[in-house]
Amino acid sequence: MNILDIRNLSIKLLTSTTPILAVDRVSLAMKEGEVRGLVGESGSGKSLLAQAIVGVLDDKWQVDADRFHWRGIDLMRLSVDERKKVISKDVAMIFQEPMACLDPTTTIGAQLEEAVDDEQLTGYFWQRKQQRKLAAANLLHKVGIKHHEVCTKSYPHQLTEALCQRVMIAMALAKRPILLIADEPTAAMESTNQNQIFRLLASLNQLKNMSILLISHDLENVTHWTNTITVMYSGQFVEAGTTQHIFNKPYHPYTRALVDSSPKANMQIPMKSRLMTLPGSIPILQHLPIGCRLGPRCPKAQKACVQAPKVKNYHGHQVSCHYSLKGSY
Amino acid sequence: MLIFTLRRLNLFLFTMLILSILSFSLSFLFPGEQIINISGQINATPEGIELVALEYGKHESLITQYWIYLNQLFEGNWGVSMTSQLPIYGEILNHLPATIELTMTALFIAMVTGIPIGFIAAINHRKKADDFILSFAMIGYSIPIFWLGLLTILIFSIQLGWLPSAGQISLLYEIKQVTGIQFIDILLSDSPYKWQAFQNASSHIILPSCVVALAPATIFIRLARTSMLNVLDTHYIKAAMAKGLTFQQIIYRHAIRNALVNVIRDVGLQFANLVTLAMVTEVIFSWPGIGRWLIESIYQRDYTAIQGGLLALSCFIFLVHILTDFIYATLNPLARETHRGPQ
Ligand SMILES: Nc1ncnc2c1ncn2[C@@H]1O[C@H](COP(=O)(O)OP(=O)(O)O)[C@@H](O)[C@H]1O
Ligand code: SF4
Ligand SMILES: [Mg+2]
Repeated sequence: MNILDIRNLSIKLLTSTTPILAVDRVSLAMKEGEVRGLVGESGSGKSLLAQAIVGVLDDKWQVDADRFHWRGIDLMRLSVDERKKVISKDVAMIFQEPMACLDPTTTIGAQLEEAVDDEQLTGYFWQRKQQRKLAAANLLHKVGIKHHEVCTKSYPHQLTEALCQRVMIAMALAKRPILLIADEPTAAMESTNQNQIFRLLASLNQLKNMSILLISHDLENVTHWTNTITVMYSGQFVEAGTTQHIFNKPYHPYTRALVDSSPKANMQIPMKSRLMTLPGSIPILQHLPIGCRLGPRCPKAQKACVQAPKVKNYHGHQVSCHYSLKGSY
Repeated sequence: MLIFTLRRLNLFLFTMLILSILSFSLSFLFPGEQIINISGQINATPEGIELVALEYGKHESLITQYWIYLNQLFEGNWGVSMTSQLPIYGEILNHLPATIELTMTALFIAMVTGIPIGFIAAINHRKKADDFILSFAMIGYSIPIFWLGLLTILIFSIQLGWLPSAGQISLLYEIKQVTGIQFIDILLSDSPYKWQAFQNASSHIILPSCVVALAPATIFIRLARTSMLNVLDTHYIKAAMAKGLTFQQIIYRHAIRNALVNVIRDVGLQFANLVTLAMVTEVIFSWPGIGRWLIESIYQRDYTAIQGGLLALSCFIFLVHILTDFIYATLNPLARETHRGPQ
């Protein structure tokens, strides 16, 4: 049973002239207890997609979808406010750049306390403040911060990036979410800290059966921690499937290139030889190619590629390419 | 916080040094004899002038002269007025408190009206209310102050007769000067008509302070609006939204404080502007403040008074500036800069 089921979600940037299709018909489904990776180069619209799911995009963006279901509820039929209410009850998100996501003029403790749901508190209202404090301390313990007194009294700029990320995770846990969306939770972190954060997320997934959507620009970084992976490129859906399939038998030329460019998959190649990469870089929003947006960089591109390809499904392994590599394995 | 205070203190001393040098050099730049400009002894005999010159170290080097001038300043010897031959220092002590009262009231009015209105505009961004407030701010900013002053006198004093148009308090009330700030003096006095006097003084200050406050209030509207728009665009507001807080909670708990921090930082800068407006207003409303006194001195080419008045006014402006800096620092933990690393 899918808890989250999104079909053909598009996000338009409304400009004074024509709207720009930043995310073009991307589909995403999450099962209960699943860890799914959402991978793509920087600028592929991963953060936009995540923000559209939790409903925090401002009014210069317009979100449409053929289907947007959360645990059987059709969110497209609800009003914006109702949708936000349903989503914010069960879905938590940790944003890219944790430091910027904490209010600089409020202490960590106060920010944690306000994340604690009223429903979880049992006492009379004069006991609530104390209970909130306790709940905040507990949350910090859960994410592995032992000295909670120092931490709650600090302001965000007094903490390190990794600590801020832990605080963000603690805040996300406050409402006991069913789905946690983690947008590049380890970007700009040292690798020991990275592993700690990943391990923390993995343990939350196992102990609480919490689903996690793990966003990253680095395919190799997340393969160890995910069950399934969805790949995006420049706002378009590329490929989705189990982590093994994606990493060992990618059907899409873009995923192939991502795998080929990762050192881990290329242990056998000789030292100091060049890694395979695609030429060029991701197009900017103002100059998107028509049809398949990978076209200008794709080694397999042909005439048909000026039409956007349809998603094909091979036993749950979905790929969006006219000339998929399925036949080559 | 200690480092912050020391830094401000350092800035304060340095600025005072520059200001005093400026004031000292004014006595050379003004036409006429420097020694007369600096002392105000306009009617003295040549022998008297010679005595004054000795007192100010006229025959020593410039540095020594400046040093003597500084000492004189600290001793309260700011020279005498060229027109009235009264000591400048006493005149300033008489007039500055009224200006402090007027400018502080005006600043208060400008802040408590302008900042919330600016916030309301930002919250209603791209709606009718925002456009309306912005155009109001534009109009308010472009109204010339002397015209506005005369207009309010015409309407509220002459036609409606609600508020007095001149002075600080009715001459009927005799208030003993203690602190110089009239409202405090009224409260301190033991006159049986204390409350009537208080009311009377309040009705006198309403018109001029509102006139002074209008233009700064429109600036605060725009500052507060921009600041709030920036804050509403930040990641932490988005994160708070994702946390499930309502819009009101976000505004009250996070947005207002952060937006306020940025506005407070600019209050100090706007204050100089406000004092200039107050000087003009003091003339219109016959407010016995230092601005009116200074403008009169300028008309009468009373160089000694101009020199002393400018020094006093700029010190006052600068002190307010530093004060707002401290308020800014208490509101904004980032400005206090102390790093702590738990774990
Ligand atoms: N606030 C914004 N205004 C205009 N363009 C934006 C904004 N935020 C993101 N974009 C554009 O949308 C595209 C997708 O951005 P994003 O979702 O942040 O990518 P990712 O998270 O995959 O790196 C990028 O081309 C980016 O330039
Ligand atoms: S559709 Fe064409 S351009 Fe796009 S990935 Fe496939 S082969 Fe390349
Ligand atoms: Mg991103």
